[in-house]
Amino acid sequence: MRIDNTHKKWFAASLIIFGVATAVYVPYAAHSPSGPRGGSAIGLTFGTVGSAFMVFAGLLAARKKVPVWRLGRAQSWMRGHLWLGLLSLPIIFFHAGFKFGGPLTSVLMVLVIIVVASGVFGAALQHYLPRVMTAQAPGETIFEQIDHVREQLAAEADHLVQSATGAAEPAREEGRGGLSLAVQSEVALDEKLAPLRNFYELEVRPFLQSGGKGQLLLSDSDRARAAFEGLRTLLPTGAQETGKRLEAICEEERQLHRESRIHYWLHGWLMMHIPLSFALLLLGCVHAITALRY
Amino acid sequence: MAGPERTTKKLAQRIDLTYFKRPHPFRTWRFWLSVAAPLVAILWIAWYGVAGSNRVYSGGKMSRAHAVLAAKCDACHLRQTGSFSAKASDQACLACHDGPIHHANQAFTPNCSSCHEEHQGRMRLAATADVSCTQCHANLRTTGEPTHYVRDIENFGAGHPEFAALRPGAVDPGTIKLNHAVHMKKNLKGPNGEPVQMDCDDCHRPPTSTQPLRFGSATGMPVLIAQKSDLPIAISARAYMAPVTYAKHCVACHGLQFDKRFTESVPHDTPQVIHTFLVQRFQQYIATHPAELRELGPDRTLPQKPLPVALRVLTPDQWVAERVSESEELLWRKTCKQCHALSIPADGALPTVAKSNITARWMPHADFNHERHELLKCTECHAGALTSHETADILLPGIATCEKCHHSGSDGAEARCFECHTYHDWTKQKEVKGRLTLSGIGRGE
Repeated sequence: MRIDNTHKKWFAASLIIFGVATAVYVPYAAHSPSGPRGGSAIGLTFGTVGSAFMVFAGLLAARKKVPVWRLGRAQSWMRGHLWLGLLSLPIIFFHAGFKFGGPLTSVLMVLVIIVVASGVFGAALQHYLPRVMTAQAPGETIFEQIDHVREQLAAEADHLVQSATGAAEPAREEGRGGLSLAVQSEVALDEKLAPLRNFYELEVRPFLQSGGKGQLLLSDSDRARAAFEGLRTLLPTGAQETGKRLEAICEEERQLHRESRIHYWLHGWLMMHIPLSFALLLLGCVHAITALRY
Repeated sequence: MAGPERTTKKLAQRIDLTYFKRPHPFRTWRFWLSVAAPLVAILWIAWYGVAGSNRVYSGGKMSRAHAVLAAKCDACHLRQTGSFSAKASDQACLACHDGPIHHANQAFTPNCSSCHEEHQGRMRLAATADVSCTQCHANLRTTGEPTHYVRDIENFGAGHPEFAALRPGAVDPGTIKLNHAVHMKKNLKGPNGEPVQMDCDDCHRPPTSTQPLRFGSATGMPVLIAQKSDLPIAISARAYMAPVTYAKHCVACHGLQFDKRFTESVPHDTPQVIHTFLVQRFQQYIATHPAELRELGPDRTLPQKPLPVALRVLTPDQWVAERVSESEELLWRKTCKQCHALSIPADGALPTVAKSNITARWMPHADFNHERHELLKCTECHAGALTSHETADILLPGIATCEKCHHSGSDGAEARCFECHTYHDWTKQKEVKGRLTLSGIGRGE
């Protein structure tokens, strides 16, 4: 999600909430006989508010699972998740009095820091990378289908090269004096397309089958362009179009590779953020019950 | 670069329409991690539960004093039958400690934990924050009669008044005349007439000092401050100076000779005891020296007028009475009067000696420990001692002297209230009967 002007109200509200919380916390901390405590009335209030923010942020997953829920727009939920989730960190710090406490509370503090930090990191990525994706992978496809599309590109390239080179098998006629004229011309054509076949066998097919792994010649756009320019100088006029189409297929493959990489950046942080946030919510419930008891 | 023709239709035809039925490994990993993380969290909590330990729920490390109870949460967190809450209540504290009230007129009594907060790490529980005290003393309100204490103290550096003993109009109530300046001057006449230079510790020492006094007597038992005050708590034997006593500190230089016939001194005691001593002493003497009953009168011969020598023959009682009278005249009007305030009646009765009123402890509401300050020279704090001529001078250091070291900041000595003041009135301490066992706190078999 891009953080743009539509977030202004949320930003302003968050700033106000943070300001009010700070204005309450500072005198409370200064005048508490034994320092700010999570179990004091104000400490409990901070804890309740912070937990409510975290629960709301966690409910985004449920909202996404049930899109027909008519409880606000998905964008509003997302904005709430971002801003209230971010606010939960200082509110929880105010609740804890900036102390880590015992084993359970220390783990909770570490979790909340990691979850919020990863969320901020992810929000920054989600703000900037989509544009990068559009610029670097205009031929973007569905991420889960990248491998499937790759297979189709490889098959298309195979078919292209076979059509251009593989159909003309030289037929050997036994006879007086050697090969026939037709065969002789086919052999000559085959020899002219050898660079194409060789280039395809040595560079293009391995590249299309690599799945974007490794640093091959065609992995780099500039080096690929130079390579294909060199190939075109060796190809007859009839094969120029094949060369161009092969180059385009290689460019598509590079875009798929970039798309895949950007996708992992865009969503990889969720591998940490989501599991840890579930653990955080669960342990938070345990903490709430036991802290109220003791 | 002209590429292969890619219409929207062709692009769409590349997609397997059932792809969403087969989750991508990325999503699968994310799902299982989302299951595993909370599961690990539950197992972690459950492990403590199986082990029968509640330490995972602890709010932090215990203080030094209570570290031995770290594994015994219910030593303090007692759960009432039928109640969910198991908060540490004052009753739990009082089961092991007595916490006498601070003052009968205090407006409210805070909970134990509001000042002594546990689970804050290895710290001294008694080292309370100033705000524990200033929650009352920053705006002091009392029940009953108005208080004479300052009402708006924020901390040692803000609002703390000058020490009561040094406020304007305060004088030393002691009646013993002592001139510190004279005693500290150079070439003072020593016990044997030799010139000496006295030092502070020739008179002022802690009760347990074993160093021999340079000009003192080995006799005379040390008197602990605690014995002279009504403070039942144990105080370091080196916290306060032992009271200066005549028998120990003064007798070597200030003898109580009363008659040239005797080298001994009168006892340092009440006038009645001295009188009885004098009578007995002179009676003993005249019994062994009857010749002195015949006294030649004083020689009043003038150069041109010789007079007959007067001869007096006294009875023993008369002789004793005259000698006692002369001795008492010397003692009451000179020797004793040099230090004591005497009121001598006109009818010849024995004088009344004012009580010495030497203050054993100048700050009854604050603790002080000389031992902790022995790195300093005495006169750094008791600056007036070298120049004090009057008994009424109070030679205590003022609050400004203490603030030179005891102030807030990383370069200051401890300046919080607890360093000098105690909330609990320990004179009202009650005994507590212990109820815990070693096995009960996990320290025995």
